[in-house]
Amino acid sequence: MNFNLTMYPNDILIVQLFGELDHHETEKVRTHISKAILQGNVKLLVWNLEHLNFMDSSGIGLVLGRMRELRAVDGETILLNPSKTMQKIFQYSGLGNCVQFASEQQVILHSEGDCQWITK
Amino acid sequence: MDNEMTLTFLARSENEGLARIAVTSFMAQLDPTIEELSECKTIVSEAVSNAIIHGYANNPNGIVTVYAVRYGAEISVTIKDEGCGIENIEEAREPLFTTKPELERSGMGFTIMESFSDFLQVESVIGQGTIVTFTKQIMPIQTLVT
Repeated sequence: MNFNLTMYPNDILIVQLFGELDHHETEKVRTHISKAILQGNVKLLVWNLEHLNFMDSSGIGLVLGRMRELRAVDGETILLNPSKTMQKIFQYSGLGNCVQFASEQQVILHSEGDCQWITK
Repeated sequence: MDNEMTLTFLARSENEGLARIAVTSFMAQLDPTIEELSECKTIVSEAVSNAIIHGYANNPNGIVTVYAVRYGAEISVTIKDEGCGIENIEEAREPLFTTKPELERSGMGFTIMESFSDFLQVESVIGQGTIVTFTKQIMPIQTLVT
C-alpha cells in the first residue's frame, strides 16, 4: 500500500491511500499520520479513499484512533469516496455520517466558506 | 463438491494479502460481482488477522490454514488456527468487543464477517485453536440482469 499526506495551510490534512489497507499496512501508516496531526493544528482530516481497492476493520481502527487524537482540537473527519463495501463497513461501525462523495477541491472550498456543511 | 483448495502459511501479517488473493482467485470461476468478491475478501482478511493477532498473539511460528470448497454457486471457506482459542465466543462476536484496544482493534471483525456472509460459524477450544467457517452464495449474472 502507498499513501500520500498533504497539508493545506488552513488546517486541512488530506490522506490519500492507494492499494490495500489491512492490519499489516495500518501499522506502517499510523505513525506518519499521527505525527502530522500532532505537529500541525489539524482541524479537518480528509481520508481520500478513491484509490483504495480494499479495506478491512483495521481501517476502522485507524480512522477511530485518529479521530481520538483530533478530539483535543475539535478536528473533523471526512471519509471521501469509499467503495460500496467500505461504505457498508463504515455504516456498521457508526461512521456512516462521515462519508462524503466529492472531490478534494470541493471539500477544501466548502471548509473555507461554510463550516456548517462539514459539522454534523 | 465441485472444487477445493487448501492454503497453509505462517502467522505473519504480510500473509494476509496472500490469503485474500488465493480465495478471490478461487472464487473467480463463479463469476462473482466486484462487491461479492470484495465482501469475501474482507471476511477472509478479518478471520486471518484474528488468527494472527489473537490466536497466535503475533507469534510468527503459528500455522494458519485456509480451506475453500465450491458446491455449485456456493462457496464455503474455513480459516483455522491452532492458537490460544476464544474464551467466550458470544462475547467476541458482539459489535465493538475487543481484547486489544491498545492495538487499535475496532472490535468490528465478527460483525463485518456476519454481515458479509450468508452463514458464519465459529468453533473454538481454549488452548487448541479456532475454526471460522463462512458460506456465501454467488448470484448467477443472469439473475442480476433480469
